[in-house]
Amino acid sequence: MLKVGIVGCGKIADAHAAQIGRIPGCEIVAVCDREPLMARQLAERFPIRRHFGDLNQLLEQSRPDVIHITTPPQSHFEIARQCLEAGCHVYVEKPFTLYEEEARRLIDLANAKGLKLTAGHDHQFSHAALRMRALAGSGYLGGPPVHMESYYCYELGASDYAGALLGDKKHWVRRLPGKLLHNIISHGIARIAEFLSGADPQVIAHGFTSPFLKSLGENEIIDELRVIVCDEDSHTAYFTFSSQMRPSLHQFRLYGPKNGLLLDLHQETVIKLRGGRYKSYAEKFVPPVTLAGQYLGNLKTNLGSFLANDFHMKSGMKYLIESFYRSIRENTPLPISYREILLTARIMDDIFAQLNREPARGVDRGAMRLQPALID
Amino acid sequence: MHNVTDSNGNGRSLQNEFALSAGELFGPDDPILITGASGFIGIRLVRNLLDRGFRNLRCLTRLPGKAAKLEALRDHAGDTRIQVLTGNLLAREDCAAATRDVKLIYHLAAGRGEKSFPDAYMNSVVATRNLIEAAAEPASGPRSLQRLVTVSSFAVYSNRHKPQGNLLDESCSIEAQAHLCGDAYSFAKIKQDEIVAEYCNRFGIPYVIVRPGYVLGPGNPAITGRVGIGTFGIFMHLGGFNSLPITYVDNCADAIALAGLKRGVEGQAFNVVDDDLPSSWKFLRAYKRNVRSFKSIYVPHWLSYTGCYLWERYSTWSEGQLDPVFNHRLWHRYWKRTRYSNRKLKTQLGWTPKVDMTEGLRRYFESCGAGRV
Repeated sequence: MLKVGIVGCGKIADAHAAQIGRIPGCEIVAVCDREPLMARQLAERFPIRRHFGDLNQLLEQSRPDVIHITTPPQSHFEIARQCLEAGCHVYVEKPFTLYEEEARRLIDLANAKGLKLTAGHDHQFSHAALRMRALAGSGYLGGPPVHMESYYCYELGASDYAGALLGDKKHWVRRLPGKLLHNIISHGIARIAEFLSGADPQVIAHGFTSPFLKSLGENEIIDELRVIVCDEDSHTAYFTFSSQMRPSLHQFRLYGPKNGLLLDLHQETVIKLRGGRYKSYAEKFVPPVTLAGQYLGNLKTNLGSFLANDFHMKSGMKYLIESFYRSIRENTPLPISYREILLTARIMDDIFAQLNREPARGVDRGAMRLQPALID
Repeated sequence: MHNVTDSNGNGRSLQNEFALSAGELFGPDDPILITGASGFIGIRLVRNLLDRGFRNLRCLTRLPGKAAKLEALRDHAGDTRIQVLTGNLLAREDCAAATRDVKLIYHLAAGRGEKSFPDAYMNSVVATRNLIEAAAEPASGPRSLQRLVTVSSFAVYSNRHKPQGNLLDESCSIEAQAHLCGDAYSFAKIKQDEIVAEYCNRFGIPYVIVRPGYVLGPGNPAITGRVGIGTFGIFMHLGGFNSLPITYVDNCADAIALAGLKRGVEGQAFNVVDDDLPSSWKFLRAYKRNVRSFKSIYVPHWLSYTGCYLWERYSTWSEGQLDPVFNHRLWHRYWKRTRYSNRKLKTQLGWTPKVDMTEGLRRYFESCGAGRV
């Protein structure tokens, strides 16, 4: 039985506790939050035997095998380091750390201790994302990706989160290097990082505060972001984050030399984009029919998964946790490679360095220096 | 003498039916804190206290943008001292600043609308604990607080073991398994009441809990879920001939004000509903006639109960593929035929609804129709 602990008992901890509870062969033995009441409420609801207000006590008294870190990102590095030192494998919610350098140090420490780490990029493992990965792996694209488009949007106006963030000038999200973006865009960036082959991509970022936020008197938070990424092997990507565009997309488009794929995370659909064209008027009539057929196929798959009781909103998280635990028990490969974690962190470092117009800590490559090269 | 404006926009004099009476605990210059002061009920409570002649009010609001409403009130209040603070009860320093020297706290700030249990809990329970601790143990000087009034909800009650048509009053039991309520708001309110009792008893702070039914009035255009829900594309009318436990917002604010002022009610809870409660049918018909027409389908009680029961069972069986947002506890609290009483409120606090039901509904429908939200 794998003994699991959760550190940080806010909103996302609920999802972790619920999904861990669905996985056989593991048990949440304790939870911890700096605010003891928050730890208490989580322990009462799930229920979990022990709750703590101090991480050291949890590590000493409950001796978990794995720790899930679901605290605000500022604390990820230090808590993860502490847990690794205590001999625990660690699942760190996104964003993995504040900076690439911190991520690298954690990975080095985990390797030195013979322990494992993963990042909470659970959207990568939803049913549709798994189908897309299988198709890409089967050679459907006709080779490595030529170009990617990742949309990760967030309806800021309608959410509770917006009220909490906008109403609190001391909110922890405001203290992140990339503020709101830092807490949200990891999923969308990780999708790109997975398919980049180079280790040192160039990044051009442009961000601004939307007119909507400005109308609320908010000038500090950047909620519109457009990014261009290009790696050494000429794989390119566009990343879009928007709080205002509608529909509010969670999409990933992957274009290869022969065909493309369109993943929609909201709808849990994967659409094959055929590279070839039909002759004459057939191009006007045949693709709509085949696309309709594909959407019907997705509907059938989704309904089948639902009826088979395998279509939970956080199914990606369950898959990721299960895969991580399997990796720990059976020493199989990690569900997310360290390379992908580091590359995601590196791209985010570059983005925030450009938005903040200052060099990212721990990154010795001047992000701004890269721009002319790419533009030229 | 100052002129203030009521929630309906009518100017009036302070010398009115609310004026300070001899049976009240606090004098006009005693400092009073109102948390959530810019909210739907909070702003009315501030006006109510001004009407009663209180001249030293400290209003706490979380959102800076909403402070303007209170600033405007201050501009009309002449030499009355209305201090507007922007702060967050999750920050200890904000709690300390807000509670400094106050004798009475009306605690209205709470997590409303959050779907996440931890968020609702944090904004209701942790915030309340912070407030109580700050007031109980001030950083400097002796404790000044003499009473805490917190606002809870009907959502905390359990009437599962009572027959149809039972009377729900302050003697009813509180839901013991708060986390099984299915909604974050009810969970947080039950836990908030527990923390109030626990911490106020620990620190020896006299407290009163006010539990309003559904508070309606200009500024809250929603149709209470006790009437029905529009979740599935068409409005499903679930209330039938049930009485609706509603209170007009000004009446509710008046009850809350009295809970802070009357002697001898420490440790008590008071339910707030108005007189002449309409049935769900009557309310829905009037809403359609006065605000907007829409299609609705009546779902009889046996069917809504079966639906809630099956939903809950499926949620458990499927390990949460559907959240248990509909469940038998919810059905009992929301859609079971129940009677409501305001007797305790009237006898112990001397409360009477200043706005009768007909007038309250008229104002509410008018605001909904005019889009004054």
